[in-house]
Amino acid sequence: MADDENISIGEAAGLMDVSIDTLRRWDESGKFKAIRTAGGHRVYRKHDIEIFLSDLFKMAAEWVSTPEPSELPNKLYCPTSSEFQARLQKMQTILGSDASVANYFSLLVAVAGEIGNNSFDHNIGNWPDVQGVLFAFDTHKKQIILADRGLGVLRTLKRVRPELSTHGEALRVAFTEVVSGRTPEARGNGLKFVRKVIQDYPLNLLFQTGNASLILKHSESVLKIEDTLEPIRGCLALITY
Amino acid sequence: MRVELIKFGNILISRQAGKEAFAAFQSSLKSISPDETLEIDFSGVITFTPSWGDEFLTPLQNQFKDKMILTNISSNPSVIESLKIIEQISHIPFKVAYN
Repeated sequence: MADDENISIGEAAGLMDVSIDTLRRWDESGKFKAIRTAGGHRVYRKHDIEIFLSDLFKMAAEWVSTPEPSELPNKLYCPTSSEFQARLQKMQTILGSDASVANYFSLLVAVAGEIGNNSFDHNIGNWPDVQGVLFAFDTHKKQIILADRGLGVLRTLKRVRPELSTHGEALRVAFTEVVSGRTPEARGNGLKFVRKVIQDYPLNLLFQTGNASLILKHSESVLKIEDTLEPIRGCLALITY
Repeated sequence: MRVELIKFGNILISRQAGKEAFAAFQSSLKSISPDETLEIDFSGVITFTPSWGDEFLTPLQNQFKDKMILTNISSNPSVIESLKIIEQISHIPFKVAYN
């Protein structure tokens, strides 16, 4: 029997927006361990669930790091661009009522929109395993997180810039150069917009693709691109404000 | 002729949605006379991106050139910053009526 602090696996699944089977698998793999009662039933501490759900960036980073895709809470996963659009609309409503970002909340939505829609536009018909994006935001921590398990910037940019050979070079081109030519796919140049916005407004961005990571800080024009120890699939972005 | 962008929603973001809006607008365009001005009204738009704008505004700009005028962009930073990027890429400045 669960005490006041512990809740059943069914209640935990409801709170976390995943299935009971997912929680069983996460317990077995160690991703999110359950507590066993004397009778052998799985129970969970509410506090542990809150911590797990609050570390959205860690969840996103894990999702794009593993060879096989793990399951995501439904409320963070947008399988289609129309679903993503609907959740952006929700974020727009929430940020629109936040006085601390009153002057630039539309830019937060626009930046998240450009990064998320890039995932859909550049991977359509070519998703390696899971279609869609992870999209999460936390108005208390003032962060927005986007991730996809797509082809990544290098492979998609090579279609128009075949000379590119490293993830770092691809990141630099994506954020700095106007990519001309609309074939074989339309290029939005949305990441140049993202960079310009971050220079002029109080936002920061961490963007990783493959084994390269870019940091853009508000009011700094320098692009910091570094190699990372562990490569990821697709793209991972953390916007802070 | 005046086009109210709010009729396409207050969040104008994806390239796909921009394409669909442009396609939907084609039937209205047939009734515009050759010398008529095309006014693009941004009233009510909350979030706007270069991707949506590139799909909707760029082809209209190419067609109407200086007969296209943007109105009510107010002080919305997502509209202002998106227009700057589209202009930078297309090298064609937008004609804006500031209220």
